[in-house]
Amino acid sequence: MKGYKKYFGQKIIWYLVTLVIAVVLNFLLPRLMPGDPVSAIMGKSVSGMTDATAIQKVYEQYIETFGIDKPLYVQFIKWVQGALHGDFGVSFSQYPRTVSDILASSIGWTLALQLPAIIVGWLLGNILGAVAAYMKGVFDKAILPAFMFLSNVPAFGMAIVLLVVFSVQLGWLPASGAYGYDLIPNMSLSFVWSVFVHYQLPFWSIVLITIGGQAIGMRSMSIYELNADYVKYARFLGIKDTKIVGYVFRNAMLPQITGLAMSLGTMMGGALVAETIFSYPGIGTAMVSAITGNDYPLLSACTLVITIMVLLANLFVEIIYGIIDPRVKAAQQD
Amino acid sequence: MGKVMLEVKDLKTKYVTRLRESVYAVDGVSLKIEEGKSLGVAGESGCGKSTLALSLMGYYFAPLHYISGSIIVDGKEISGMKPDDVRRTVLGTDVAYIPQAAMNALNPTQKIIRFIEDVIHVHMPKMTKKEIYDLAKERFEILGLPEDVLQKHAVELSGGMKQRTVIAISTILSPKVLIADEPSSALDVTSQKMVIKMMRDLMEKGYIKSMIFITHELPLLYNVTDDIMVMYAGQIVETGSAKEMVFDPLHPYTKGLMGSIIVPEAGVRENKLAAIPGTPPNLKHPPKGCRFAERCKYATPTCAGMEIPNISLANGREYRCLMSERKIREVYENE
Amino acid sequence: MKNTLRNIFHSPRFVVGFVIFMAILLTTIIYPLVVTANPLAMIGQGNFFKPGTYVSVKDTVTSKTYTLNIEAVSNIADQLTDANKEDMRTWLVKYGGVSQEDMDAADDDELVELWLENYDSSVTQSGLTSSAKKAYVRLNDTILSLMDDSDVIIASENEDGELEESDSISTKEYVNVSDVTNKKTFLLGTDNFGRDVLTEMVNATATSLRIGLIAGLVATLIGLSLGLLSGYVGGTFDNIIVFITNLFTVIPSFVLLILITYSVNQSARGATLIAVVIGLTSWTWTCRSVRSQVISLRNRDHVNLSKLSGHSMFRIVVTDILPYVASYVVMALILQISSGILSEAQLSMLGLGPSTSTTATLGLMMNWATAYSAHLNGSWWAYFPVVLTITLISFSLNLMNTGLDQVFNPQLRD
Repeated sequence: MKGYKKYFGQKIIWYLVTLVIAVVLNFLLPRLMPGDPVSAIMGKSVSGMTDATAIQKVYEQYIETFGIDKPLYVQFIKWVQGALHGDFGVSFSQYPRTVSDILASSIGWTLALQLPAIIVGWLLGNILGAVAAYMKGVFDKAILPAFMFLSNVPAFGMAIVLLVVFSVQLGWLPASGAYGYDLIPNMSLSFVWSVFVHYQLPFWSIVLITIGGQAIGMRSMSIYELNADYVKYARFLGIKDTKIVGYVFRNAMLPQITGLAMSLGTMMGGALVAETIFSYPGIGTAMVSAITGNDYPLLSACTLVITIMVLLANLFVEIIYGIIDPRVKAAQQD
Repeated sequence: MGKVMLEVKDLKTKYVTRLRESVYAVDGVSLKIEEGKSLGVAGESGCGKSTLALSLMGYYFAPLHYISGSIIVDGKEISGMKPDDVRRTVLGTDVAYIPQAAMNALNPTQKIIRFIEDVIHVHMPKMTKKEIYDLAKERFEILGLPEDVLQKHAVELSGGMKQRTVIAISTILSPKVLIADEPSSALDVTSQKMVIKMMRDLMEKGYIKSMIFITHELPLLYNVTDDIMVMYAGQIVETGSAKEMVFDPLHPYTKGLMGSIIVPEAGVRENKLAAIPGTPPNLKHPPKGCRFAERCKYATPTCAGMEIPNISLANGREYRCLMSERKIREVYENE
Repeated sequence: MKNTLRNIFHSPRFVVGFVIFMAILLTTIIYPLVVTANPLAMIGQGNFFKPGTYVSVKDTVTSKTYTLNIEAVSNIADQLTDANKEDMRTWLVKYGGVSQEDMDAADDDELVELWLENYDSSVTQSGLTSSAKKAYVRLNDTILSLMDDSDVIIASENEDGELEESDSISTKEYVNVSDVTNKKTFLLGTDNFGRDVLTEMVNATATSLRIGLIAGLVATLIGLSLGLLSGYVGGTFDNIIVFITNLFTVIPSFVLLILITYSVNQSARGATLIAVVIGLTSWTWTCRSVRSQVISLRNRDHVNLSKLSGHSMFRIVVTDILPYVASYVVMALILQISSGILSEAQLSMLGLGPSTSTTATLGLMMNWATAYSAHLNGSWWAYFPVVLTITLISFSLNLMNTGLDQVFNPQLRD
């Protein structure tokens, strides 16, 4: 138990440090670039380039809230204070909505879409990879190139292909949004059904992408483990193959968990872009509207939220890993 | 004379490479071990001793293939059995094995006791977890292993501890024949001594009825086994009691092996022969005559031309050389 | 070296990947030599012209004509939309006195026949709005005009400014396509700007490959040098590098990319800059792996021997360590190129791609196609070839990578 405490303690501290640095980067990077968006905001408000007085007001309010005319460290403190209260200012492009309001309505959709999709894709991929490693032969020979091809389709490409086939051509599933545009969110059966139907295409496009990469990784891990000495020893003692396969897959699965942690950021990035293809009302779509609307406050809040989501997911994966892999505990005792 | 635990007659096996070439790694081996006795098998790496170990166990899974000969374990012929049946009914109970690299022999993420349960359940499905635990605890105690090892994962154990755990697990069902393939090679001197002591304890207390100890260090066997067999290029070149083999080797190869290893035992390092020059023959196409002829400094043209008979001496010693015992002693003396 | 190369080219995966990749690469080199037109020229007025050969109508009219005694097939059914046909069926059953069974049995040609026999606009059509009635009249007119086989009259203005019949074209007149001077083939149609998709895509592929290569080289060079140093030198320097790499394996590089590219002035955001930024945000992975390899190498005998011989650190790293990680670095570079191309595509999809009007990238093409709803209006040629190209590039690079992996790490060989 002591080993675990130390491991978890270290992990949590490490992730806190990472979070702080990520927050600083999120604040600093845009402000350090030449032609940075923040001074662009200043410029716009001063020269009065914007015609609508409402937008003018928003800019002024932004400068006021974030003290853009103040020194950098004052800005940072103000920004962090705001962020801690969930206050990221008012959106430029969707005035008068606040950024936190937009985020609040999109985080849920993104989480509900990506979390299950990545988990399901990961599980299916691992099962298929393990089966391919164990079966060898035709199944493996045929399925491996298929997986390799699949894993190289970009997420948005998969999204478009699924959309065109199942929505435009076959007309089985709706093409965009998270629920029928004529519905108002409530718990009625028709709304839930609509959400379910709209969920399918984005969900499966992420799942399919995830499956390919995971299956390949799991396959080669399993092959490696199948040749391990402990497999031979267990065979020499007469243990049944089915039981040994159980050992192997458990062990091959463990690095796949760390692999998941390492690639979560990339996966989520791809999935966010796929989201925009379906105009799914999540963070990806919010980000695109921020970019096209030149809405800096919204964009920087989106990136911050994505970073925090990835960090939390990673921390979660590492804690799970620590619990199920005895090697972690052993390493702590050294 | 004790009951014969293992008798092997003219066993021939081969393994087939990826390129479909046959390598005749065990080429006509015969041996016999009685109850309570142990046999050491020594030879350079690649001489076929590890293949011999697998062959003796009846473990004929690709790339290893059985050709001919018989293996009788305590009166039961196993060479004709299906490999899967051997694995189910013989391995672990009648014949047990201690692998070469015990470091990695245990599943790193499994508790030791869980593995022991798995091993025992194959052969004795009716044993309860409690009974298994008690048996394991008793064995571990006798072998000087702490009980809490049972609740640990392999990764939490040191190298020496892992090796001893593997020995305890391999012998937990009191096998009739234990085959240990270089069980101590990868260990430091202290752990090596402990492992060897364990093996002797196991023999003395009767937990294993007989043992084959395979190693590339011939002198090591002096303290461990009753008899020693030296293997070269898939064949046995000399057999005898441990003492005779170490202090009075007859076959030029045995003599060479003695010289090629530095052992801090008094009286063992008499002549400082360096490693034997040359390499063993290619076992894809074994030579017709003496397999050692190419590297033997006493070889005559006849040696390579004809098949060498096994010479048995009165005291049970056997060697495979054209020279007579007298001639050999003469030659060695003149050096 | 020669042996290694032979081994590599004996790996089927590597060879397949290599062939696909070279085919793509050579196309981007040779195609522009053959087709010298500006890849971004907006030829088509209007968007998403479907693939095919477009011939000048004027040329067709003025070209030499040949009379062929074959029935001009004006396959009316083919020219009607499904909605049209559905409307026709509904009308015929409701008002035209055709039974439902006959209707169900009728194929498209029979449907048109039934329509011509039974449609009459003067029938009482109870329940139809007047606009719906008019729509049926228009539909009927369309069908009738499709049926029309009278000659097409060509008139030209005479000196008085009056139109005068100069020629008439009967339905049996044909021109030979090779007689038509002005024609243009769009194998993959045109995009939303009216650009030739094929030419544009070849150009975009070249740019994307360049982006991938620059990004890969930047990432690999930084990752390699920091990994070598950090692994070999150890100590505080190593600790710092480890800290940074650990940091950026969890902070998504995707986010950093967005922040940086968004902040860079739009006009400065060229393809090369994007490539460099991608490279700068993706080196940690290479660095991590090189470092761990160097650590396992630095206490090998030959390295120690070199140290004892008093060789400089630079020399030891270059001659005693680098060769051992070289195969690995090549593999990492290949993967970095592939992920660089993907990163650019994703950035562009978000609207943060290179903002130059002189070149296209695969990502920008995707962005344009989706922005103009090519995927919703059936213009498959505007996006599908692009998706396929990105996939094939990344697939071929990954195949090459696994091929190399099998050669260099034989324990994974199966």
